[in-house]
Amino acid sequence: MALTLTCPVCGKRNGYEFRYGGEDKGPRPAEEGLTPRAWCDYVHMNTCTVGIQKEWWCHRDGCGAWFTTFRDTTKNLEVKPPEAENGQA
Amino acid sequence: MAEFKRQSPVRFTASPIETEERDHWTVALEYENEGHGPWIGDLAHKARWDLQDGGLEDITPCDLIIPEIPGQCTFSGDMLINRMNRTQASIYHLGSEAPPIPDFQGYTDVSESSVFLALFGPNIFSVAEKLTRLDFMEPGNTAPFLLQGPFCHVPCQIVVLDSGVDGGFLLTCSRGYGDSMVHAILEAGAEIGLRPAGEKRFGSWIAALNRE
Repeated sequence: MALTLTCPVCGKRNGYEFRYGGEDKGPRPAEEGLTPRAWCDYVHMNTCTVGIQKEWWCHRDGCGAWFTTFRDTTKNLEVKPPEAENGQA
Repeated sequence: MAEFKRQSPVRFTASPIETEERDHWTVALEYENEGHGPWIGDLAHKARWDLQDGGLEDITPCDLIIPEIPGQCTFSGDMLINRMNRTQASIYHLGSEAPPIPDFQGYTDVSESSVFLALFGPNIFSVAEKLTRLDFMEPGNTAPFLLQGPFCHVPCQIVVLDSGVDGGFLLTCSRGYGDSMVHAILEAGAEIGLRPAGEKRFGSWIAALNRE
């Protein structure tokens, strides 16, 4: 099944309209005390989650918005945030 | 000052039978054998502004309110305001003349950087559905509404002004795609008689929409 993603501006659209922006790694680490190894790990190392992963996407062919969403990497399908499924969101 | 000329990014093979010089543009008012529709009109000479600001709710271009929700449009007289996202709106002037651009840093005149086409008339959406997977007939959208997405695989802004059988829409994209975009649209619409139309026919359509 083809991937569809939900843009916060345009709504659900075909996955081919989007550009992948990588895993969501959280905020940039503070520069104070930052070692080259820690920075290198932040920039280059990925967790490559097998399952539900939070990711950055850009609506390249549409509104151009950058946003995060959750995707099940084993099925290549967009899914609800894990906390929402537990009724916590 | 040397005389200069503004050039539309699109060209039709049909010949206009009536033209007018306006603000250095050559505007085709009518083409020979325009047929019974649907039609494609080149609106490159119409002024388009982009507006970007963090407080769009406080700005009223030409005394019109910018819609609150992305995808919604305000259409009044000859002016169309399209909410693109949280901080941006596009403004189209569809009449023969546009007011001077407001003296505010958030406005950018993008008239000469983009293609601007009108596609309207009977069965025009049959042409569109050959060229895009965007849903022009989604029940949740009430015309006029803005779609931002690929048309002929080119990122476009599309404003559906009337989603009825004899409706139509406006399309803008980057200037460099002009010739190939028009070629693809005319090829797709050849079987149902899509032909170029001049500004007179476009003006009649807009006037009819304003009367509704």
